[in-house]
Amino acid sequence: MITTVTIFIPLLGALLMMLLPKEFEERRVRAIAAAVAAVPLALALYVYFVYRHDLGAPALTQNVTWVSSLNIGYRVGLDGIGFGMFLLTALLTLIAVVAAWDVRRNLRQYFALLFVAEVGMLGVFAAQDLVLFYVFFELTLLPMYLLVGAWGDENRRAAAIKFFLYTFLGSTIMLAGFLAFGILAGSFSFSTLEGGGGLSRAAQVAVAAPIVLGLLIKVPAVPLHGWLLDVYLSSPTSTNVVLSGILPKLGTYGLLRVAIPLLPQGVHPFLPYIAILAVVNILYGAFVGFMQPDLKALVSYSSLATLGFILLGASAVNTVGYNGAVLQQFTHGLYSALLFVVVGIFQARTGTREISQLGGLVGRMPWAASLFAIGSLAAMGLPGLAVFSSEFMTLLGGYDAHPVQAVLAALGIVTGAFYFLYMLARVIFGPIKNPAYEAIQDATPLEMTAIFPLAALLVLIGFFPGLLVVVQHHAVQSVLTVIGGG
Amino acid sequence: MPYSAESLVALLPEIIGAVFLLVVLMVGVFLPGSVRVVGGLAAAGAAAVFAAATWMFASGFHGTFFGGGYVVDGFALYFELLVAGCAFFTVVACLGWARSAGDATEYLVLILSVMLGATLLVSMRDLFGVFLALELSTIPSYALVAFDRRRRESPEGAMKYIITGAVASSVLLYGIVLIYGTTGSASLPDVAKTFSGPQQPAALLGLLLLISGFAFKVSAAPFHFWTPDAYQGAPATAAAFLSVAPKMATFAVFLRVLTEGAPGEAPVWTAVLAVIAIVTMFAGNLPALRQTNVRRMLAYSSVAHSGYVLTAFAAWQGNARAEAVQAVMIYAAAYAVMNLGAFLVVDIVGEEAKSFNGLVRTRPGLAASMFVFMAALVGIPPLSGFWGKLWVILSGAGSGSVLTYVTVGALVVSTVISVPYYFGIVRGMLLEEPVSSEVVKKGEPAGLRLAVHTLAFLTFVFFVGIAPLSAVARAAGML
Repeated sequence: MITTVTIFIPLLGALLMMLLPKEFEERRVRAIAAAVAAVPLALALYVYFVYRHDLGAPALTQNVTWVSSLNIGYRVGLDGIGFGMFLLTALLTLIAVVAAWDVRRNLRQYFALLFVAEVGMLGVFAAQDLVLFYVFFELTLLPMYLLVGAWGDENRRAAAIKFFLYTFLGSTIMLAGFLAFGILAGSFSFSTLEGGGGLSRAAQVAVAAPIVLGLLIKVPAVPLHGWLLDVYLSSPTSTNVVLSGILPKLGTYGLLRVAIPLLPQGVHPFLPYIAILAVVNILYGAFVGFMQPDLKALVSYSSLATLGFILLGASAVNTVGYNGAVLQQFTHGLYSALLFVVVGIFQARTGTREISQLGGLVGRMPWAASLFAIGSLAAMGLPGLAVFSSEFMTLLGGYDAHPVQAVLAALGIVTGAFYFLYMLARVIFGPIKNPAYEAIQDATPLEMTAIFPLAALLVLIGFFPGLLVVVQHHAVQSVLTVIGGG
Repeated sequence: MPYSAESLVALLPEIIGAVFLLVVLMVGVFLPGSVRVVGGLAAAGAAAVFAAATWMFASGFHGTFFGGGYVVDGFALYFELLVAGCAFFTVVACLGWARSAGDATEYLVLILSVMLGATLLVSMRDLFGVFLALELSTIPSYALVAFDRRRRESPEGAMKYIITGAVASSVLLYGIVLIYGTTGSASLPDVAKTFSGPQQPAALLGLLLLISGFAFKVSAAPFHFWTPDAYQGAPATAAAFLSVAPKMATFAVFLRVLTEGAPGEAPVWTAVLAVIAIVTMFAGNLPALRQTNVRRMLAYSSVAHSGYVLTAFAAWQGNARAEAVQAVMIYAAAYAVMNLGAFLVVDIVGEEAKSFNGLVRTRPGLAASMFVFMAALVGIPPLSGFWGKLWVILSGAGSGSVLTYVTVGALVVSTVISVPYYFGIVRGMLLEEPVSSEVVKKGEPAGLRLAVHTLAFLTFVFFVGIAPLSAVARAAGML
């Protein structure tokens, strides 16, 4: 019950936003939205503190048969693999609400759409039924299309439709796979389908192919990433938080929780190729990111690289790699949200995102610049910050399963460190390039409330990754047991 | 016993429909200018047909009548409900227009006669009966298309529609005659016997001609060229009605003719229809991308949706037969609410794509409803169109035939192709500035507005009804 309530509270929030009187002043709208967004977070934290040791199998479940003849049901529950993302969704939505300071027009509609998207995202991470998973998956599509298309920059409309077409193509392909799977297995429930649902090996491969392809488009894995840059660049800061923090995880989570556990034999032949794609993501993201003159584009490509590590860990299908991949989903969300928000702050202050135009920001805005540095150091995998442990685990696991790919992926850490340090040197250190920057102010208390918790969590989880591993490792273990991995 | 009292009960919805048709005609003649009264009577007629069919459905009434040529079963009643429901919304929506056009009675009578023909059609189990009922629903629809004499496109569209329609009818009739000639009977069970025996070229040719004739009627490629002109020319409410009610009834009887009349030739016709389905989807979606006129766009979109329904026809094999029938039924309902609604919005806003620009500023409620229709036509969950497509894909996936898998693949691809044109409207409504404030007609009739919002609501809450609907379809679909 608490699962369902948490998923659908944002929907009530969306209705509330639409019902607020027009003449309400902006500050109160923002405050109410933040209060609404805090509720799912509070509930998720409650679940964390009470149930964090008991999420090996889906807990807090709810089963309502929807279409009995096809065995489709409203089945939700929280398990260790999904719960981290469930919690992160609630957290980042709150951050996105706080960070919506650059959204000036139609604020109520903006928050309403954000909340509808949150319903979809929370639902995906709690769904225990293929059709329901798909329904929630798609529920994020329309709000995100509108968030980008209506509140983005001048390129927003082209970006929004590109985003829509790519991801809709992916999800429709995935749906065809889901339906074939459900029909052949006679059920759409995760618990029945686990381990292949009784399908032969060949049937599993045939069904897994469209599912994996659809999920990889969502991530996106590199040759399928055509929408990414336009969309990330066009979006307002607060949309970026969700867009990079949560949405790619719909794809990776689909691999970790749906494709691999439910179709182990079907996915197996694709695993080396997923690992190759992971390497491509990592190296391509690093090299192209290095070339970017635009700070936001650099962060976007670095995000692509970090997602590659999740794919690598998933493709390893062993305890270390899988745990690393699940954890990396969380840590990537933290650092990319942090970087995007700070880039937004920089842009608001300086009026530019060109790396060559920026410089010396640490002198003028020490707090924002330091937190940006923490995010960047985390992104390159500095020990002591959250991404290090997860990335390291994916590499260790990956090395066991696909040594060549893992070695190449490790190169990505070096290149990542190189271009992040080079970027930091130009953006926050060095001389102040533009005399106008002398007058800029540091992050306001409101801005700090959006970025400080993220930086703090990066440090906290960097030192105590166990805080999250404790939630997930039983679930990971049970997945690996089901599929006979190790 | 061909003419028992029971056979009168079997005809109850049709009798009620015919009575109301005559009453509306008479009242219109003797009380000219009383649009409110005739409109109310017409709406009551559609509602009464709906109620009668509901009662028969609920009481489990079924059987074959009139020498086996007429059948009442869940499948037929389901489509009668659908047709009557669509007619009701159309009547409610068209009153304002009909009043201003000055021929309200004639317009309503035509709608009721299309409804009558369509309700008869779904119960026919005799090829000649099928032909007659089909013409009964088609001939008034020619007049409906030509009805708007103030617009040049209206007679033009009607002319194309009549000519192609007449050719289609002849082709259909020729097919029926060939089958009758080899079988010696036009009753579907007898026809089935012929087709399950040794193959007879003449009968097979008849079957192919029959399929071609039906393909014309449901605007399947390559026989769909009349559709954009007819839907563009027709009054918007007529286009709305014609694109759903008679079309779905024709699909229903088409499916009945194939599954009851030629199950033995299923490998042939599923293959033919798979190919037609694939061609139809692309013949609808690709030209739709280029349209700036929303009516033509929706006409091409309805062609594409015919292709999606035919995908379920192609899936009628192996273990997926029941699912295929269910898919057609569920798709019909899902399509009816969303497409009817979309056409009615066009009636309010205008047919130029530009006139939708900035609609969310000027008419937020209307924009929200249109958004629901467009997203549903794409097939985004949890809206109605998604469930239709879901069942079609399910039946295709269960059919076990490679050609059907290809057809389902084509459905997936063409669904994605369709996104830009549906979302062109959405983008215009939500993301563009209004062209000018005067293109927004305020003060459309309350009935029209009510119909639009009710249909949007039904499109939206379809997911609540999908479980009972699928149960009904399952029970009714056991042909």
